[in-house]
Amino acid sequence: MRLFWSIVGVQVRKRMAYRTDFWINSIVAFAAELGVAYFIVAAMFSGGDRVGEFSRHGMLLYYISVILIGKVVRSTDMEHVIAGDIYDGSLSRYLVYPTSFFFMKYATQIGSLVPSLVQIFLFGAWVPFVLGVPEGLQITPWTVAMCAVALFLGNALHFLVTYPIELVSFWADNCWSLMVLHRIVAGLLGGVLLPLTLFPAWSQKVLAILPFKYMFSFPVDALLGRVTPAAFFQGVGVAIGWCAIMACISAMVWRRGTLQYTGVGM
Amino acid sequence: MIEATKLSKTFTTHKKEPGLKASIKSLFVRNTITKHAVKEVSFRVDEGEIVGLVGANGAGKTTLVKMLAGVIHPTSGDARVLGHVPWKRSNDFRRQIALIMGQKAQLWWDLPAADSFLLLREIYQIPEPKFRATLDYLVGVLEVKEQLTVQVRRLSLGERMKMELIAALLHGPRVVYLDEPTIGLDLTAQRAIRDFILKYREEHRPAMLLTSHYMEDIERLCKRILIIREGEIVYDGLLEKVVQTYADHKVVTAHLHKRPEPVKETDELRAMGQVEKCNDLLIKLRVPRLRVAEVAGELLKRYPVADLAIEEVDVGTIIEKIMRERSA
Repeated sequence: MRLFWSIVGVQVRKRMAYRTDFWINSIVAFAAELGVAYFIVAAMFSGGDRVGEFSRHGMLLYYISVILIGKVVRSTDMEHVIAGDIYDGSLSRYLVYPTSFFFMKYATQIGSLVPSLVQIFLFGAWVPFVLGVPEGLQITPWTVAMCAVALFLGNALHFLVTYPIELVSFWADNCWSLMVLHRIVAGLLGGVLLPLTLFPAWSQKVLAILPFKYMFSFPVDALLGRVTPAAFFQGVGVAIGWCAIMACISAMVWRRGTLQYTGVGM
Repeated sequence: MIEATKLSKTFTTHKKEPGLKASIKSLFVRNTITKHAVKEVSFRVDEGEIVGLVGANGAGKTTLVKMLAGVIHPTSGDARVLGHVPWKRSNDFRRQIALIMGQKAQLWWDLPAADSFLLLREIYQIPEPKFRATLDYLVGVLEVKEQLTVQVRRLSLGERMKMELIAALLHGPRVVYLDEPTIGLDLTAQRAIRDFILKYREEHRPAMLLTSHYMEDIERLCKRILIIREGEIVYDGLLEKVVQTYADHKVVTAHLHKRPEPVKETDELRAMGQVEKCNDLLIKLRVPRLRVAEVAGELLKRYPVADLAIEEVDVGTIIEKIMRERSA
């Protein structure tokens, strides 16, 4: 665990090495996304007071929550980093370290979350107080705790789904288009673009067994009190199941991929 | 310590002709070429030895190093480094080796080197007192104390290379692979790195495999060299023996007292050896080893010689010659 926290520490220091970027990422990017969320909600509610089960107020709270939570889940700084390491041969240095590459990269992506956590604590915490929590939703210490657990699992699951996709670089050199595809699919089926409850009734069962819901929608629903304790534990079980499946797939792809690795660029 | 037996590596890469038409075609059909980067290479390196791996670009030096460091898998053959199969990458193996790549930064670019060293302490699980002692020793020898807290990307190339060396040696590796450690450095920095490597070898006696394009690195650091040509080892032996074995002649230079007329390249001079240079100040001849004494005597007798030098042919020239011969 000492190594894990050391890697996290190095990444945190790295993220803080460039303070302009740090504050732009922490404040300006968040303000811009907040503006986008406001206009999306305004457009959605231009024809009436309710969309599905959401009031305008509830929808705004949902989007702000999903933006903040999405940043923690996605850890955008890490996108394409693993594929890049394989592509330009930087992986070689990790292969001579007496530790697991997966472990190092997971710890690194946890360290990359710092700006997102700053955003959550600086800006996210006061949103419910300013906007108020609309009728039908509730934020309590219990829902915050559920959200924290779901967020941890969502982040791990997102990393575990992304990891084998990035490892495709062992064969394809460049897998950028796959990453973009994954981002779009995960955003759509995970509830970032639209709340999943607005999807047709027939699709709900499918969405419930796919991994994407547990990356974004599930932590947000847990935070806003839209998940019963039973549904929460069931969701945690599905997320853990997906993590196990993806960990097995990752190990398999890694084993095969490193046989292909040529270390070009070294 | 390092033992390679019939080690081979074959790469398959895509081939694409230039032009738009070829680019479109390559979306559907791709031609591949197979390159035998390393062919049945066998050798061993013992404790305390620095062995130079010499060869032209693309000869297979780095591929060989990558296999022995466990970075890539061989196509066939076997290797044991400290008793381990490198590409199985056991942690016990990786704790005892270091790979220094002159062309690839291993430190965290955006952080001071001191931060990277702290992380490496955890990665290699180096006990704190040993870590402090080793770091102080390496920082002292390489004279980089002031630079420890400077962001790596702001360091000069020489300073960065010194930090890379520290990072690679902190855990006290028993086998060190040095891939072009002085590439791009100025002469002073090159000399500092060479001196350090020699000092480190004397004090710690690791097995070292060094690749370099700079003959001065090889001449200063290695008693033994491996010459690799198109993936094959064409020479494995002492550096001094290369000269004796492959240089069938020496260079005889006679510095003359100033003459009113330059020396002409006459038949008489050509009979002594291959004339490399002759003018009013000197005569330079390539002379077969067995005739050196005789030719030196002739020169002294026939010309107003002020000084006479008999030298071995430059080792770099000989190595180049070996590589040319084999390819022909």
